[in-house]
Amino acid sequence: MAGFFKIAIRNFIKGPTTDPYPFGETFTPKKYRGIIAYSPDLCIGCSTCEYVCPSGAIKVVEKEDGSGISFSFWLNTCSHCGNCGYYCPTDAVFNSNDFHTARHQSEKYLATIDDGISFVQCSRCEQKMKPPVEALLIRAYDEITEEVRHQTSLCPACRRLEQFERM
Amino acid sequence: MFSKFATKSPWLFRINTGSCNGCDVELATTALIPRFDVERLGCKYTGSPKHADIVLVTGPITVRSEDYLIRMLDEIPEPKVVVAIGICPISGGIYRDSYSIRGPLDKYVEVDVNVSGCPIRPQSILDGVAQAIVIWKDKIKQFHEA
Repeated sequence: MAGFFKIAIRNFIKGPTTDPYPFGETFTPKKYRGIIAYSPDLCIGCSTCEYVCPSGAIKVVEKEDGSGISFSFWLNTCSHCGNCGYYCPTDAVFNSNDFHTARHQSEKYLATIDDGISFVQCSRCEQKMKPPVEALLIRAYDEITEEVRHQTSLCPACRRLEQFERM
Repeated sequence: MFSKFATKSPWLFRINTGSCNGCDVELATTALIPRFDVERLGCKYTGSPKHADIVLVTGPITVRSEDYLIRMLDEIPEPKVVVAIGICPISGGIYRDSYSIRGPLDKYVEVDVNVSGCPIRPQSILDGVAQAIVIWKDKIKQFHEA
């Protein structure tokens, strides 16, 4: 009996356990997998995320005018599984902490993330190519010298030619 | 006279159309445990479709559950607000283009609010129900004017 009173008094002092949301702030775990976030600076356009997405929420296609690669993501079919972030080689796609997914029916097909990367020109033949990603360069080279910068400004064909000329 | 008070407490009814049970578990936790109390919004779960005001539909609408869904939706009195819970009724989710799926839900009934997620967070369900209540109050007003 004494134990019961102890618990009752402790709970009385502690106050309500109800989460105040939607009238107040709520907690979100750090590792909560919410809405996808995409950073085009890191994206290399490999479309691995499109391949591993189980619900077909991601589309990575080359733009029609050939100016770059477009990344589009439909939120209303994303199962927040985190496969895209797990397989992304540069962490360009990841799950943010945002959980506000309740939307009106009129926004059903508008709840998308539309972004992309634009091509840069090769410094030698002026052919369009994907831009080099800083994060990958840092991982690949101990220090990024002028030589490396010059190499990354060339398209694969020109780079091969230049390497051959040096030999 | 009663319609004035009725707008303060919509009754919720949930339909499972072949869901994996994830969303249903989340719905039960939102309603039943004091931590995410849906009854703070004035809502109450009901077991009968004839008492329902807000309908929460989970699941991708399988072939087996299609007839039951249509029959159940017919029994719910107007005005009603339909909330699609989870990605399955909204777009099919990972089951889209399957041979046994007849979704999405908006083929059968006019959906008002979509709450996406797999499964949804209880906080998101509260968001969706709060949006549904606003729509429901508008609908009741229009219903009485007409």
